[in-house]
Amino acid sequence: MPSRKINSSEDGMSSQEVSVSGVFAVSSEVEAEAETKLDEGNIHEAESSLREGLSLNFEEARALLGRLEYQRGNLQAALQVFDGIDLQAAILRFQPSYSEKPSRRNRYRTESPKSLNLHAASLVLEAIYLKSLCLHKLGKSTEAAQECKNVLDAAEKIFPQGLLSGVLIDNKLQETVCTAVELLPELWKQAGRYSEAILAYRRALLSQWNLDAECCARIQKEFAVFLLYGGVQASAPSLAAQIDDSFVPKSNLEEAILLLMILLRKSYLGNTEWDPEVMEHFTFAVSLCGQTYVLAQQFEEILPGIFPRCGRWNCLALCYSGAGQNETALNLLRKSLNPRERPNDLLAFLLAAKICSEDCHLASEGVAYARKAIAKAQGADEHLKGVGLRLLGVCLGKQAKVVSSGLERSVLLSEALKSLDEAITFEHHNPDLIFELGVAYAEHRNTNAALRYAKQFIDATGGLMLKGWRLLALVLSAQQRYKEAEVVTDAALDETAKWEQGPLLKMKAKLKIAQSLPTDAVEAYRLLLALVQAQRKSFGSFRHIIQAANNHVSECEVWQGLATLYASLSHWNDAEICVEKARMLKQYCPATLHTEGIMHEARGRIQEALAAYSNALSLDLDHVHCKVSIGALLWKMGPKSLPLARSFLSDALKLEPTNSLAWFYLGMVHKDEGRITDASDCFQAAAMLDESDPIESFGSIFY
Amino acid sequence: MSSSSEEEDPTSPGPTDPNSSTPPVGPTPQAQSALESLSQILGEPFSPSLSLLDDTHIANSITIRLRQPLSGAGDDNICRWLYDTFQSSDPQLQLAVLKFLPTLAGVYLIRAVSRKPLAGFEAVLLALYAHVTKSRAGQPVTVTIPDLSHPSLYHETTAKMKTKNIATELHIAVLSPVLEPQGTVRSTKRGRIVGVALELYYSKISQMPVSSKLDLCEFCEVWAGQYDHLSNKNNGNVDEGSNSSINDASSDVSISGVGCIKRSVREECGEKGGRIPLPWELLQPCLRILAHCVLAPTNLKELKAAAMAAVQSLHVRALHDIDPQAILATESLLKLGKREMESINEASDSIVSSDFQDTPESLVVFSN
Repeated sequence: MPSRKINSSEDGMSSQEVSVSGVFAVSSEVEAEAETKLDEGNIHEAESSLREGLSLNFEEARALLGRLEYQRGNLQAALQVFDGIDLQAAILRFQPSYSEKPSRRNRYRTESPKSLNLHAASLVLEAIYLKSLCLHKLGKSTEAAQECKNVLDAAEKIFPQGLLSGVLIDNKLQETVCTAVELLPELWKQAGRYSEAILAYRRALLSQWNLDAECCARIQKEFAVFLLYGGVQASAPSLAAQIDDSFVPKSNLEEAILLLMILLRKSYLGNTEWDPEVMEHFTFAVSLCGQTYVLAQQFEEILPGIFPRCGRWNCLALCYSGAGQNETALNLLRKSLNPRERPNDLLAFLLAAKICSEDCHLASEGVAYARKAIAKAQGADEHLKGVGLRLLGVCLGKQAKVVSSGLERSVLLSEALKSLDEAITFEHHNPDLIFELGVAYAEHRNTNAALRYAKQFIDATGGLMLKGWRLLALVLSAQQRYKEAEVVTDAALDETAKWEQGPLLKMKAKLKIAQSLPTDAVEAYRLLLALVQAQRKSFGSFRHIIQAANNHVSECEVWQGLATLYASLSHWNDAEICVEKARMLKQYCPATLHTEGIMHEARGRIQEALAAYSNALSLDLDHVHCKVSIGALLWKMGPKSLPLARSFLSDALKLEPTNSLAWFYLGMVHKDEGRITDASDCFQAAAMLDESDPIESFGSIFY
Repeated sequence: MSSSSEEEDPTSPGPTDPNSSTPPVGPTPQAQSALESLSQILGEPFSPSLSLLDDTHIANSITIRLRQPLSGAGDDNICRWLYDTFQSSDPQLQLAVLKFLPTLAGVYLIRAVSRKPLAGFEAVLLALYAHVTKSRAGQPVTVTIPDLSHPSLYHETTAKMKTKNIATELHIAVLSPVLEPQGTVRSTKRGRIVGVALELYYSKISQMPVSSKLDLCEFCEVWAGQYDHLSNKNNGNVDEGSNSSINDASSDVSISGVGCIKRSVREECGEKGGRIPLPWELLQPCLRILAHCVLAPTNLKELKAAAMAAVQSLHVRALHDIDPQAILATESLLKLGKREMESINEASDSIVSSDFQDTPESLVVFSN
C-alpha cells in the first residue's frame, strides 16, 4: 500500500482522517479481524468491527471491505458490500459548505476546497469506481457505466471548480477520477449506448479533471476514432461549452479532424509521444474530404526522425499530386528517387511517370521513370507492369509532340502504340487503357482504330465517363462524319446532367460550323452561354472546389468562339461586341487578340491585324494559330517577307505538326519562292491532314 | 456468429429467435401491407408479427431475387416492392429497404455496363437519391478544416493574437457536392446517384445488419476487379479469411442457395471480373462504409476480415489507377485495419488467460 502524506496543518484534516490512512500501515489487527468475519460471510459484523476499531463511518467501512473483497476476486461479494454505500449521503457530507456555481472552463482558479475530508472522499469514490469495475467484469455494461458516471457526478459535486493541478488533492483520488473519466466512454460503447458515449467523451475533454497529457491524448484519440468510424451521428456540443469566437465543429468528421490535428500538434510540441496511428487516422479523414493539401502541411510539420525521409517525401508527393500541385510533387519524387536515397521505389516511379505524362516537356523524363517502373515490377508487384507500360506509352506519345524531327516523331509514336498494346495484354479490361489507346491512335491519325477503341471504351464503362463520348465524337468529326458526330454528341447530352454539358455544347457548335450551319451554331453557343453564366452565378465561391471543374467551359472561350463565328459571317458589329465581352472577362488573352487580328485582317486593316497577332504572341510565345496567321499575312505581303513567313510557319509546325493550315501556307511560300517539289509535299500534307482534322484537338479532352 | 455483441445481435444472421429481435414498433398498418404484398411476390406466407428490418429469412429471399440473372428490369416485382416500401415514409420501412442497397447497387453497377434493361433497380436508386436531395435541399455537405491558430472547442491558443478573419483561414472541403434533381439515371450520373444512395446507407449504418454490410464488402471487392492479382499473391491471408467468412455467413443462414448465388455474381461477370469505373464520388462513400466495418467498436471479426479484403482490393485498384487521393485513403485504412486485426487476435488469445486485473488501464486497452 502506498503511504500517504498528510498535511496535518490543514483545517480539514481531522483525527479520523489520520486513522483512516493508518489502517493501511498500522492496524493490521482490526483488519485481520474484519477479514475473518468476511470469510465467515458476515458483512455486517465485519463492517461494525471496522467501524469500531478504526472509528470509521458506515460508508468508509463498506468501501474498505468492498475493496478487500474485490482484491480477492470475489466480485459478487464485493458488489454486495458496495451496494450498501449511499453515495448521495456521502456527497452531502463531502460537499464544500459554501455554495458556488461550478464554472467549467475557468482553469485558473486557485482556491482550494478546504473543508474537505479528502481521504474519506477518495475512499468512497474509489469504492464506487470498483463497483463499476465489478459490474463490468460481470458483463453488466450499462450498470457499470451508470456507476462510473456516478463517480464523476460525485467528483463534480465535491469539487465544484474542477480538479486543479495547483491544488493539493489526494493522489489516489486524482487517479481514481482520471481512470473513471477514461473508462466511462468505453463502458457506454460496450453497452451499445453510443450517444451516451459521445457525451462522456465530451465531458471528459471539456470538464476540469486535471488529466495528465498522455491520458488526455488517449481520450482524444479514442473519441476521434469513434467519431470517424462509429457510424453514429453525434449531436452538437452543448452551448455551455462553446465560447465566443472559438471554432465549434458541426459534424462528426469535423470534430474528429479537429481532435486529430490537436493531437498531432501536441506531439510536435513534445507534449505527448508520437503516435503513428493518429497520423493514419488523420490521413484517412482528410483524404476522404479531398484535402490532401492540408495533409501535406501536416506531413511538413512532422519533426525529423519520425518518418524515414524518403517515405515522407513520397507521401508528400502523393498529397501534392492529389492537390493538383504536380510540380512540387515531382520535385519531391526526384529527391527520393535520387540514387543515394531510395531509387527502387516502384510507386514513386509510377507516380513520377504519371505526373510527367501530363506535360509534353516532361515526357522524356517520364519515359525514363516508366521504363524503370517496368523493370521493377516483379514478383508480388508484377501486376503493376501493365501500369508501367501504359504510362510509358502515354509518355512516348507526349514526347512525340515536342521533338523537332519528323522521323523521331514517327518512331516515338509507333513505340508509344507498341507499349500501349503490350500493356493491354496485362490489363485487358482496364477501360482507361482502352481510352489511352483510342487517343494515341487518334493522334496518330489512324481514325479507324481510334474509332474502335472509343466505342470499346464507352461499352466498357457503360457511358459513365464523359470523355469517352467526347473522344468518339471527335474521332467521327476527324473522319468528316459530322452528322454521326452530332448524333453522338446529342446522345452524350442526353446522358449528361445540365451542369456538365458545357464541353458537349461547345463541340456541337463547332460541328454546326463545320457543316456550315451558322444559325444552328449561334443557337448552340447561346445555350452554352446561358449555362456558363448560370454556373458562374450559382457556384460563386464554391467554384474552385467543384470536383467536375474540368468539365466547365470558360465564358471567355464562348465569346471568342462567337466572335470568330460572327467574323466569318462578316457580322462585324456582333463580332466586336463579343470580343469586347471576352476582353472584359480576361483582359490579356492571346486567343481574344487572335480573334481581333482575324477581324482586322478580314477588313483589310493589315497593320492592326499584325499588331494584334504580335501582341498575342508576346503574351504566349507558343501560340500556334498566331504564328500561322502572321505567316499567312507575311506571305500575302509579297516576296520580300517570304523568308520571314517561312520561319513563322515552320515554327508553328514544330509546335503543332498536324496543323493543316500551316502546311498549306508553307506550301504557298515554297511555291512563290520557286521550290515546287517542296510546295507539293506541303500541299499533300495539308490535304491529308485536312481530311483527318477533328473539330477540336484530341488533347482538349484532357482539359 | 454466436459471439456477436449485443448491438448486432438482433440483426446478425442466425436462426430467428423471437426474443432476440425486439419489436421496435408494433407493426404499423403500412408495415402490415408491405409485408402482405411481399408475401404475395415471394409466394410464401409470413407471420404478421415479423419485423421486416430484422428477419433474416425474408432478407435472404429478397437478396436471392435481387441476384437472379434477370432481376432489375422495369417489371421486377421485388424492385417495385422496394420502391413502394421506401416511398411509404415510415422510417423503419425505409431502413428495411436500405439494407438491400449493397446487393442492389452491386448487381446494378456490374450489369449497367452491359446495357441490360435495369429500370427496376434504377427506380429504387432514384428514390433513394431523391430522398437525400430533398432532405439536404440539394445543398452540399462541407467540412471545415480548422486552423489551430484560432481557439476551438477543444483547445485554446496561448498567444492572444487578435483574430483577423476566421473565414479566410479555414479550408472548406466539399464532402458531397451540390445535388441536382435527377429524373432518370443518365449514364454519366450513375456513379453519383449510387454514391449518394450509399451516403444515405452510411448515415444509417449503425442500424444495418451484418449480412448487409458483408454484401457491400463483397461487392466492393468485385468492383475493384483486382482479385486475380491478389489471389496470385502468396500472402493472401486476408483474402482467404474473407471468403471463408462469407461462406460461413451463408451457411449459418442455412439457406443452401445463398452460397451459390454469391458465387454466381463473380461467374456472371465472368472473365471481365466485374471491374467497374470507380470515380471518387462512388469510391468515397464506399471507403467510409468499409472504414466503419473495419474499425467500428462492436463489429464482428468476420465482417472486419471481409472489409479488409475489400480495402485491400481497392488499394491495389488505386495503385493501378495511380489516384493519389485513393492511394492515401486506402493505404492508411489498410495499415489501421491490419493493426486492428492483430489486436483482435491478441485480445482473443489473452481473454482466456486474463483473470482479474486491478488496473483499469489494461481494461481500456482490452476494449479497444
